[in-house]
Amino acid sequence: MALEVGTNPMSMDAIAAALVEDFGGDLTDVRVQEPDTIVARCDRAALAAVAQRLKDHPQIGYQTLNWVAGVDRMKHFESIYHVYSWKTNTWLQLSVEVPFGTPEVDTVTGVWPCADWHEREAWDMFGIVYVGHPDLRRILLKDDFIGHPLRKDYIDNAENHPHV
Amino acid sequence: MFDQFATAEPDEAVKLALRRLDEAKARGEGSNLEGVELNEVVVNMGPQHPSTHGVLRLVCTLDGELIKDVIPVIGYLHRSKEKLAEKRTYFQYIPIVDRTEYLASINCEWGYVLAVEKLMGITPPRRAEFIRVISGELMRIASHLVAVGTFVADLSPLGTAMGFYTFRDRELVLDLLESLTGARMMFNYFRFGGVRYDLPDGWIEKCRLFLKKMPKLVDEYEALCSDNAVFLQRTMGKGVITQQDVMDYGITGPNARASGVALDLRRNKPYSVYPELDFEVVVETHGDVFDRYLCRLREMRECVKIVEQCLDMLPNGPFQTGSLRAPYIIAPPPGAVYVGQENPRGEYGTYIESDGSRYPYRLKFRDPCFCNLQLFPKLLTGIKIADAIAVSGSIDLVLGGIDR
Amino acid sequence: MGVSDLRYPKLENFNKPNVITTTADFIFSWARSHSVFPFTYGLACCAIEMLSSGFARYDVARYGMEVFRPTPRQCDLMIVAGTCNEKMAPVLRRLYDQMSEPKWVISMGACATSGGPFYDGYNVVNGVDKIVPVDVYIPGCPPRPEALFQGLLELQGIIQRYKFVAELPEVGAGGDGGRKG
Repeated sequence: MALEVGTNPMSMDAIAAALVEDFGGDLTDVRVQEPDTIVARCDRAALAAVAQRLKDHPQIGYQTLNWVAGVDRMKHFESIYHVYSWKTNTWLQLSVEVPFGTPEVDTVTGVWPCADWHEREAWDMFGIVYVGHPDLRRILLKDDFIGHPLRKDYIDNAENHPHV
Repeated sequence: MFDQFATAEPDEAVKLALRRLDEAKARGEGSNLEGVELNEVVVNMGPQHPSTHGVLRLVCTLDGELIKDVIPVIGYLHRSKEKLAEKRTYFQYIPIVDRTEYLASINCEWGYVLAVEKLMGITPPRRAEFIRVISGELMRIASHLVAVGTFVADLSPLGTAMGFYTFRDRELVLDLLESLTGARMMFNYFRFGGVRYDLPDGWIEKCRLFLKKMPKLVDEYEALCSDNAVFLQRTMGKGVITQQDVMDYGITGPNARASGVALDLRRNKPYSVYPELDFEVVVETHGDVFDRYLCRLREMRECVKIVEQCLDMLPNGPFQTGSLRAPYIIAPPPGAVYVGQENPRGEYGTYIESDGSRYPYRLKFRDPCFCNLQLFPKLLTGIKIADAIAVSGSIDLVLGGIDR
Repeated sequence: MGVSDLRYPKLENFNKPNVITTTADFIFSWARSHSVFPFTYGLACCAIEMLSSGFARYDVARYGMEVFRPTPRQCDLMIVAGTCNEKMAPVLRRLYDQMSEPKWVISMGACATSGGPFYDGYNVVNGVDKIVPVDVYIPGCPPRPEALFQGLLELQGIIQRYKFVAELPEVGAGGDGGRKG
């Protein structure tokens, strides 16, 4: 089975319509961002199921995860998943809102194995806990770093700089 | 003052390795030798190591020479670039993007500049696009030269066999780029809406001379290694990346193309003037170390073809969109954009969110080596250390991009 | 000192500079400065310029320094090339401590000297001289190979000023007695 790019080319509007139809209320605010990205939102409770269905979708099949990023929106976090469909050669950017109080969201490592390190980085930088992650620990910062630096309210403490 | 650094406790990665070792012992696993009980050792490779191509640390659980488990530890070069983006203006950030994947600086700048231009809705003039492609492809040649040179250097005992040849030729490329941009490594050359300088007088002739020479130099590298029996034995069949891996782990670039996946963003998601250029997407079939090495060598030839075409097609005209000469403070309209660009190592993506102010709100780099490195535990378990060095050299990592 | 002291050198006479120690100084510092073994401590982009300086065009072998050893035990000179961050700092210190005396440190590049373009990063160490004592600072981002060579020549000058025996200290002066010249 050779992995090929673009075996089922569809127009962006057709893809958006197919997603709205197949996912119903789970995928909200589906918009086309020219030239080749669909942007959508998903509820964090439905994320695990939606991710699996996105990957297994027969016509579009988002089989590769490009990256996962966290964003601090001042009122809540957001965990953004950027996935790629080989068949249609398009991207989908899925945003999941994560509240400040309980920053937990399901992991997608069961669906896309490469989410492993991306989610660890989001945990490291923002403190978003990925429930079910096999090994959630710091990846880029030292193990005893205090705080999550990419949050907007992060203040650089002296505790993190022992040599100064 | 320095005493707090003298710690003898194992850190998290080593503790994890020891835990996994205990679990394996509890499961009653034996060694790979008949009748010998499990006698594995947790050994640290790096972060200072000649063959890890940067400050990568591999906590290996070894059973003799066989690697049972690898835990890569990164972050030794984490320079907080994504946070710095929020404190620098868009223009001030261009030199910092240079330093992300320092071996392919022009391509990294290109990715960032493309994203900001998309946010702003600017298109650079045609001459600037051609100059961008020329400098990007020259940088790709330089980057592959380092990749191939250091990879072969890792395989050889005293370390520098092919390195001398490839670095000598990299100096030729850097001479061209230096006369174009003023710097040998961190170019700071791209601007939003064009490039900083136009081609100097006589540069095109010098470039053509180099392009005439380059294929013969690639022939020289192939003559050095590609038929060498020891090299073939050490590289063929080792470290195979399957197409399932490419799909699961998001492997891009020559690593994916060597496995038979024809994914090249210059073809599949074209940007700049690539649709008008005629070049071949280099694809190999086996996905082993040797194919990745061959893929890079052949890509250097394709780069030469691309630059020749660009020099032939180069139009006259402005090299920068007039409105962005000065002042250099821009405030893109609110919005978010992701642009993927074909780096020598894979898909280098920049995700920028702007809230309308002079500073980016969120900047995220999708680094190809970060995704490629995730494959290490799978690729390196079950093989010997010497093969592991060959495999890790062929994946071509640059820690600046992984750690950002 | 009389003539008899020269024929039968006594240990107690060796606490003052004499013709034997100054000759030994000359020979040892000539040998040390012209065969420095650098330690490959390339962290980031400056490491590539360090590598380039070791190869054919900018040949560091003409200064006798082409033997880049990866192990600290066999090295005299640690060229810290690149940004050091909080995670790397203990490693840097540990490797410095593992080198045997006499040892020198060159801080190559803006990041190693003072944090460089990342000076306000949350985990960047603003200069490796907060962790190891530095002898020569080379500015640049990255410094050209020629700049690295100027730093290496400065270091050769520093090495050549090493003395076995200190000069007589002045009355009331502190310090290390002029051992490093």
